[in-house]
Amino acid sequence: MVNFILDLLLKQILGTPFILIAIIVFVGYAAMKQPFGKSLTGAIKAAIGMLVLGVGSSQLIANFGALLTALTKQFGVKGVLMDTYSTMVACNQSLGDYASWSIYTLLVAFLVNILLVAFRKYTKIRSVFLTGNVMVVQAAIATYIVYRFLHTPSLSTIFIAGVITALYWGIMSTLLIKPTHEITGADFTIGHQQMLGSLLAYKIAGKVGNPKDDIERKKLPGFLSIFQDNIVASAMVFLISVTVIFIAMGGKTVTAMAGTTNIVIYTIKTALTLAANIYILLAGVRMLVGELMISFKGFSEKLLPGAVVAVDCAATYGFAPKSVILGFLFGAFGQIAGVLALLAFHSPFLVIVGFIPMFFDNATIGIFANKKGGWKAAAGITFCSGIIQVVGTALAASMMGLSFWQGSFDWATIWVAIIAALKGIGALLGIPVV
Amino acid sequence: MLNLLCVCGNGMGTSTLLKITVREVCEELKIDADVDSCSAGEAPSYMMQTDMILTAPEWAEMLTTPPNVVMCTSTNLIDKKIIREMLEKTVKEHFPDELG
Repeated sequence: MVNFILDLLLKQILGTPFILIAIIVFVGYAAMKQPFGKSLTGAIKAAIGMLVLGVGSSQLIANFGALLTALTKQFGVKGVLMDTYSTMVACNQSLGDYASWSIYTLLVAFLVNILLVAFRKYTKIRSVFLTGNVMVVQAAIATYIVYRFLHTPSLSTIFIAGVITALYWGIMSTLLIKPTHEITGADFTIGHQQMLGSLLAYKIAGKVGNPKDDIERKKLPGFLSIFQDNIVASAMVFLISVTVIFIAMGGKTVTAMAGTTNIVIYTIKTALTLAANIYILLAGVRMLVGELMISFKGFSEKLLPGAVVAVDCAATYGFAPKSVILGFLFGAFGQIAGVLALLAFHSPFLVIVGFIPMFFDNATIGIFANKKGGWKAAAGITFCSGIIQVVGTALAASMMGLSFWQGSFDWATIWVAIIAALKGIGALLGIPVV
Repeated sequence: MLNLLCVCGNGMGTSTLLKITVREVCEELKIDADVDSCSAGEAPSYMMQTDMILTAPEWAEMLTTPPNVVMCTSTNLIDKKIIREMLEKTVKEHFPDELG
C-alpha cells in the first residue's frame, strides 16, 4: 500500500512531465493569488502544450530518422540536425523514465538564478533569465549532459545541472546588460543562446571595424524580408538541405525511397514535412512556455523588484532590423562553409543546418557587431560564427551520441567545453557513459 | 471586448512576454481584452478575429492588414511604460468605447 502510494506520487504524478508541468503552473498562478478558474485553465493549457510538443517531436524524429538512416547507409556518415527544440526532445527521450528531471533542473536553475541576483552585492550577477522557451531547452540538455557522463542519481543530477545552467544564465546575461543598453537605450538584457557570441562580436567588432559603417543607415533590397517569415524560411532551409542530400544520394536511391511518388514531389514533401513537424513542436512549446513565463515573471517581480530582466534576443530586432538580415545572411554563408569543411575533412558527422540556429543566432550577433564595428565587421564576424556553430555542433553531437544538436553559438563553444569537462571527470572517476 | 494579437519573429519569446505585459496593462486600464501571441508568419490566419496587432515595425511591414485591424508598433516591446502609453493612445483613438 505504501509502495503503491509512493509510486503514484513520485513516479506517476511528480515523474510524468505533462502532469508535473501542470502542477507547477497551477502553483505558480495560485501563489500570485489568481482565481482558481484561471489557475486551472493555465495548468490544463501547459499540460496540453507538453503533449502537443510530444506529437510534433515523435513525428519529426521518425521522419528525420528515415533520412538519417539513408545517409548513413549510403555514405557511412552520421547526420546531425542542428535545431534547438528537437535537441531538447532528443535529450528528454534519452533520459527515458527520468525525463521529468529536466523540469526540476529548470526550477532549480531559476531559483539559483534568483538567489545569485538577490546576493548581487557579492556575486555581481544582476539579471534574471525570463526567456522560458530557451530555459526549457537548456535545462533539458544540461540535465542529459550531467546524467550521461556522471551517471548521478536524481537529486545530484538536478542540482549539478541546475547550478551550471544558472551560472551560465546569470554571468552571460549580466555581461550583456551594457552592450544591450547601448543598442536599445532600454533597461533589459538578452537571455538567450548566443550570449558569448554577442559579447565577443561586440568586443571584436570595435577593434576591427568602423561604427560609421552602420548598416542601419543604409538601404537594403526588399525581397530579403521573406526570411522574416519563420514558417516560410524554415521550409526553404529544409528544402535546400534535402535537395542537396538527395542529389548527392543520386536518382536511383531517391526513386527507391519515393516509391510511386515523383522524385521532385517527394523532395518537396520530405522537406515541407520536416518544417510541418517543427511547426507542431513549436506550437506545443509556445503553449507550455506561455503559461510558465507568467509564473516566472510574477515570481521574479515579487522577489526581486527592479532586477534586470534577461529576455528573448528578438526583443532587440526592432532596434536594428537591417543588422538582423545581414547577420542571418552571412551566418548562413558561414554555416554552409562549415558544412563544406566537414565534408572536405571527411568528418564522420554531417551537420544538416536548421532555421532557428541559422537565423536567430547570427541575427543577434550581427546586431552587436554592427553597432560597434559597422556592416563589414558584422559580415565577417557572423560568417565566422556560422562556421563555429557547425564545427561545434559536430563535436557536441559526437560526444553526446545524439542525431540532434542545438548548435547555437554558446552551445557550440562554452557548452562543448562543459561537455568535454564533464566527460573528462566521468572518465577520470571511471563512470561508464550512459 | 477587444481582441489583441502580439506578434514577433518566431512567436516564442518576445511576443509571449509582450502578451503578459499587455494583459497587465489592460487590467490596469480596465480594458476588457483577449490577448494572444504568435509569429509574424502565422499572424494572417488570426486576422479575421483580431482588432489590434501589437508588434515591432519590422514585422508590421511584413503584414498586410485588413481594414478591421489596427496596427500598433513600437521598437521597444519590453518596457511596460512604453507599451502602456502606446496601447492607451491607440485604444483612445480607435476604440474609445472600450476604455473602462
